[in-house]
Amino acid sequence: MLASPTTLPLPASIDRRDVLNVSGLSAGYGPMRVIHDLDLIVNSGERIGIVGLNGHGKSTLFYAIAGLTGWQRGSIKLNGVEVGRTRSQGPGRYTHQIVRSGLALIPQGDEIFHGLTVEEHLDSGAFTPRAWRERAQRKLGILEIFPPLKKLMHVPVGRLSGGERRMVSIGRGLMAEASLFLVDEPSLGLAPKIGKSVIDALMAIDLGTSAMVIAEQNVALLEGRVDRIIGMHAGKLKGEASAALMLHDLSKA
Amino acid sequence: MDLWFIISNTIVLAAIYGTLAIGVSITWSSLGLLNLSYGFVFAFAGYGAWLFAQYVTSFGLAVLAVGILAGALGGVLVCAVAFIPIHDKPNFTTRGLIATLAINLVGTQTLMWWFGPRSKSLPEIFGTWKLSLSGMVLTADRVGNVLTSVIMLLLVLRWMRSSRRGLEIRAMMMNPHAASIVGIGVRRTSFYVMAITGGLAGLSAVLLSQTYYISPFGGLMPMIKAVAIALCGGLGSVQGAVIAALVLGLNEALTTVSVGGRYVLITQFLLIIAILLVRPRGIAGLLDKAREA
Repeated sequence: MLASPTTLPLPASIDRRDVLNVSGLSAGYGPMRVIHDLDLIVNSGERIGIVGLNGHGKSTLFYAIAGLTGWQRGSIKLNGVEVGRTRSQGPGRYTHQIVRSGLALIPQGDEIFHGLTVEEHLDSGAFTPRAWRERAQRKLGILEIFPPLKKLMHVPVGRLSGGERRMVSIGRGLMAEASLFLVDEPSLGLAPKIGKSVIDALMAIDLGTSAMVIAEQNVALLEGRVDRIIGMHAGKLKGEASAALMLHDLSKA
Repeated sequence: MDLWFIISNTIVLAAIYGTLAIGVSITWSSLGLLNLSYGFVFAFAGYGAWLFAQYVTSFGLAVLAVGILAGALGGVLVCAVAFIPIHDKPNFTTRGLIATLAINLVGTQTLMWWFGPRSKSLPEIFGTWKLSLSGMVLTADRVGNVLTSVIMLLLVLRWMRSSRRGLEIRAMMMNPHAASIVGIGVRRTSFYVMAITGGLAGLSAVLLSQTYYISPFGGLMPMIKAVAIALCGGLGSVQGAVIAALVLGLNEALTTVSVGGRYVLITQFLLIIAILLVRPRGIAGLLDKAREA
């Protein structure tokens, strides 16, 4: 039943419960079906990489979990609460509820508010009441992860460089009091060196009991640094993948 | 003497139209709704204030407050009828335009049916004192109009800068998609937005009634001007709307003095077309320092 046949043994100290349990999920836009009967379980404390080529449904999977696709069916349980919806829906209609129940989506291509300052951006990510109360502390935490933002706190985000925007975008996601972080292509469009440092920062974050799923095209960036890597192909998850396997697949194709 | 008249007229008109235009502008950029029922909300608030002055007390500040509250109520009403049911359906922009226009027509006709076509006048909120300043006479209503609308606008803008709800609204104005990713609920925020912009409409209804009267269709002309100013300032930009309000207020005062009040709309729209030809994004295009996308 599980699309992920093997899981690495986790440290015993972490309570093993599934943060996310997706089963039989299909989703798409209008007549187009992008995701086909997909199953996925994410345990707490886990860092998972999802790799696959452009247009194979990585972003759509994340959007479906956040309730932002045109239509979807199947079950999505976030912390045991059903957040998937079977009827066709207005995209984004329930997203704020899903976010409030513990999801932080860090979207592809920096969906930023170009006129807000970096500080306001980070504030806007602290959506739950507790995160909002603790936002001063949380911001300090983000600045520790991304020190370059310290000098830019009062600069409108529209004037930042691509790498700085990515840091703001990720920082905004990390401000949330979430149990599941979905990071969509953190290295996309960045110079290799900067992309690598962004990934390094993501790997250095202490997850505690929450989980993180990173979608990437570049397997080498994740290889050996996440708990498991799952391949995604044509709207389906393809089990454990590694750089060698992907290269093999590519040469076959 | 003439010059003073032009300047004071400009400022009074700019203050009132600017308030309305900022309401239109905020609604458009945060909800994607060009609120054509603004004229109805305007008249609704005016009649609310009039009823209050008639039956409860004609104490100026209370009437003003009731006008603002009635406007906010009207805004929430419009939101519940025209925004909530259709905001996530396809072609929302067009549908919203038609829905709000329908509310405007139905609403104003209802007001006409209920209160009759005769226009009502509100008590003089700011009293009847006069201020003489080096040959220029400032009447109470003019000073009061400008001060009240500027203070209210500053309060609203300050609230939008400093509060969490304001942050939500500004986030929605810049990128609605990202706003929902962050967890901002469109429906809840829309009620805030419509209540605030409705309140601004109520404010300008009461203020404008110091010069004109309250009538069922009295909101139509201010609404058209407000939409025009908002367009001219660049939809979504508050500073742009303020500057556009000043420019168009000046134009209105100058036209009235030089060729007559009848031609105001003609020169107004010629000016707007000229501005939009040169700066398609409106005046805000000049102010915007951040690059988009």
